[in-house]
Amino acid sequence: MKIFDYLATIDRRIIYFILAIVVILPLVFPRPQSVRVMTPAQKLFEAVDSIPEEKVLLIDFDYDPQTAPENEPMAIAIIRHAFEKRIKLAALSLYVQPLGLAVKALDQVREEFNAQATTYEDSIIYGRDYVLLGWQPPPIVPLLGLGISISGVYPTDYYGYRTDSLPVMQGIRNLNNVGILVSVSGGSAPLWWVAYSQVRYGVAVGAGLTAVSASEFFIYYQTGQFTGLMVGMKGAAEYEEMVAQLDVPGRRRASEALGSLTAAHLTIIAFIIIGNIGYFVRRRRK
Amino acid sequence: MVALILVGLFALAPPTNVQALDTPGDGGEAITVEWQLSPDDNIIDGYEIHRSEDGVDFAMVGFVGRSRTRYEDNTDDGQEYYYKVAALADTVRTFSESSPPALSSPQWFNNSALILLIAMLIFGGIILYYIYVARKGKELYIRKIAGLEAVDDAVGRATEMGKPVLYVIGIGTMSNIASIASINILAEVAKKAGQYETPLIVPHSDPIVYTVAREVVKESYTSIGRPDLFDPDKVFFVTQSQFAYAAAIDGIMVRERPAANFLIGWFRAESLIIAETGAITGAIQIAGTDSVSQLPFFVTACDYTIIGEELYAASAYLSREPMLLSAIKGEDVGKMVIFAALGIASLIGLLTRFPILTIFQ
Amino acid sequence: MKTRIPLFLVLVFGIVGIIPYYSQHPIIQGSENFIRNDVIRIVAAFALILGLGSLLRVHFDKIRRSRPNWQYSYVLIIGFVVSSIIGLLGGRVGEGFLPTQIGGFEFHMQVLFENIIVPLGSTMFALLAFFMASAAYRAFRARSLDATLLLVTAFIIMIGLLPLGDRISPHLPSFVQWIMDIPNVASKRGIGFGIALGSLATSLKIILGIERSWLGGSK
Repeated sequence: MKIFDYLATIDRRIIYFILAIVVILPLVFPRPQSVRVMTPAQKLFEAVDSIPEEKVLLIDFDYDPQTAPENEPMAIAIIRHAFEKRIKLAALSLYVQPLGLAVKALDQVREEFNAQATTYEDSIIYGRDYVLLGWQPPPIVPLLGLGISISGVYPTDYYGYRTDSLPVMQGIRNLNNVGILVSVSGGSAPLWWVAYSQVRYGVAVGAGLTAVSASEFFIYYQTGQFTGLMVGMKGAAEYEEMVAQLDVPGRRRASEALGSLTAAHLTIIAFIIIGNIGYFVRRRRK
Repeated sequence: MVALILVGLFALAPPTNVQALDTPGDGGEAITVEWQLSPDDNIIDGYEIHRSEDGVDFAMVGFVGRSRTRYEDNTDDGQEYYYKVAALADTVRTFSESSPPALSSPQWFNNSALILLIAMLIFGGIILYYIYVARKGKELYIRKIAGLEAVDDAVGRATEMGKPVLYVIGIGTMSNIASIASINILAEVAKKAGQYETPLIVPHSDPIVYTVAREVVKESYTSIGRPDLFDPDKVFFVTQSQFAYAAAIDGIMVRERPAANFLIGWFRAESLIIAETGAITGAIQIAGTDSVSQLPFFVTACDYTIIGEELYAASAYLSREPMLLSAIKGEDVGKMVIFAALGIASLIGLLTRFPILTIFQ
Repeated sequence: MKTRIPLFLVLVFGIVGIIPYYSQHPIIQGSENFIRNDVIRIVAAFALILGLGSLLRVHFDKIRRSRPNWQYSYVLIIGFVVSSIIGLLGGRVGEGFLPTQIGGFEFHMQVLFENIIVPLGSTMFALLAFFMASAAYRAFRARSLDATLLLVTAFIIMIGLLPLGDRISPHLPSFVQWIMDIPNVASKRGIGFGIALGSLATSLKIILGIERSWLGGSK
């Protein structure tokens, strides 16, 4: 029957059109979905939460605009966590492109907190509560240099201030003074931090990863080389869920996008099933 | 509050057994201070670390929270330091005895890397042994790798259709082994394309890889006696931006309609965008990468996929040089060593589950 | 001579690159810092100039010879020149001496980045979802037992990783986590061993001068 021939050879443009509708609708009518927090994200949250006062949280921004929809909610959730618990925060990037995104994420969360603050102490102040170290090419320079001296690799920060003059960097000399390094990445940067910085200097490393690249990182999570992981949009939503329990306000973009993610997955599954039905019927006919 | 009153009444117990040692395996300028916890550890705020150069006048240099027994201090090499650790509860402080003097200095070898050095020597030694054996002219067998067997067919198909061959090295730099392996295959593909006078298009994402690949293609054409075929405009740099590069490759595929696409190197998420566009244009596609997360996409969208270490074997496979083949043999033996070690460790782990065999614990 | 010098340099720098891994001594780390911070950066900067030269030459040639779609080469060249001028002279956030504001309209690098690069990059990445759908539809057919097993596992994982999976069964996310932790890790680890050993062998061959294809095919 012709219908089964058609089902096995649907024009790809029809697939694209249906997928587009299915993805767009939940974004136009967003509704944050609650998720069950899985162990990898839970471990990362606990590791960040237990950073001692004298140490700093180091975030490596390693995502491009292309993976920002997945990675940016992760970065924002961790920054909210750090600012809420008054954990000292230092940010850097191994490449130049993510720097603009780092500025965007840090500025956004700082403004969220300062809109609620009533005193100077409550506010988030650049230099006192966080610093954006910037970018020093090539990537191997910070990967190996931070273990010796952070201000040696970044003598001035992104805005041109002397790094060692900033209050947030007092007592922060090298990776020994970093509680955990979280690499939010669309690529392999977390593995480089493990292979170079962790092996040489013993720093704890966590990662925020895109779903598509996550499977190759699980071997390192299993051995404890990654303290915790956020995997894809769902991982970001899990971290947002845990941060929301600290009563931190702010839009939960990953949780809102889960509706689209679910719908897209189900659509792809439906097309695969339809394609297989057409395939089996044609095969039987032959 | 009660705890503080008790502390005030009965005095805080200090930490004991303070030891100061030169931090091992480092570049100097660091002393590690260790101590045993104060018996009152659960009620204190933390530990202050105090340092002196003469054993008399001490000044505070650091603070750690309770339940910590270690602190690394930044020092000047060649200067003796004495340390005391004080348990701190609010304003109440009780000092330990002073540690013996300690001196920091740089070490030439990092002991914690010893296991890695041994492993490197073992595996490197195995590979070098087989390279040595190859010099004696011994024949070595290598199994068929479908993707590499298909290189001739792919270039031949492009020649018959009068269409170019597209070779994509991916977004890796020269420090990616996959990029180096890809350039080895590019040399062979360029020779074959030159023999058939089939145009070869090689767009690049990394400027250093571009400079190397340009020379490799030029040399390949020269080696078959056709240096006139080299067109520098066909081997060109595009952009370092990942998806801009993917957009450029897609554009070339749709406009030039190459009959054979080689997607060999290091890829990230742009792999499926490139491979699927190639599949839509109907080209024969041979992909190869050591980027494990991209393999499923290549397997789905391409006709042949060279997986992981098969890529590194390509140069040996295509040239059949004994010295290169022997290194693959060395890799295989290295894998056997790892499997044997895993097997033995798994067996021991299994046996420790039986109480009677606790001698293995 | 043409091959001996590069081979010698590769041998020296290959060994020099390994030693700092095993020694933190300031003399060794200092040498590595020099190579890493100075030498590699200079080489990378010059290679970038060569790469950009190649790109511009290709497009100027396209315009000169009126090759197909030569008009788009103008777009590339104009974009290249404009963004270079704004970036070099206008500064990252408009702090340079070139004015990057007309009234309330700003056009410094950060604005260009957020309003042009970010949306373009996101659009390209979004194509991935559509291509994944069409590739999955075309290739995921239960042609054999292996393919069927792959298909069923893919379904379980796709559904299990969604909030929907938790609603179907509370055990499904845990089962999916088990698949990711055990069979997936085992296979990836196996491939990882092969890649690690292959990298070691290839690096040894290059450092010792046995593998010379990168030299340009010269023996």
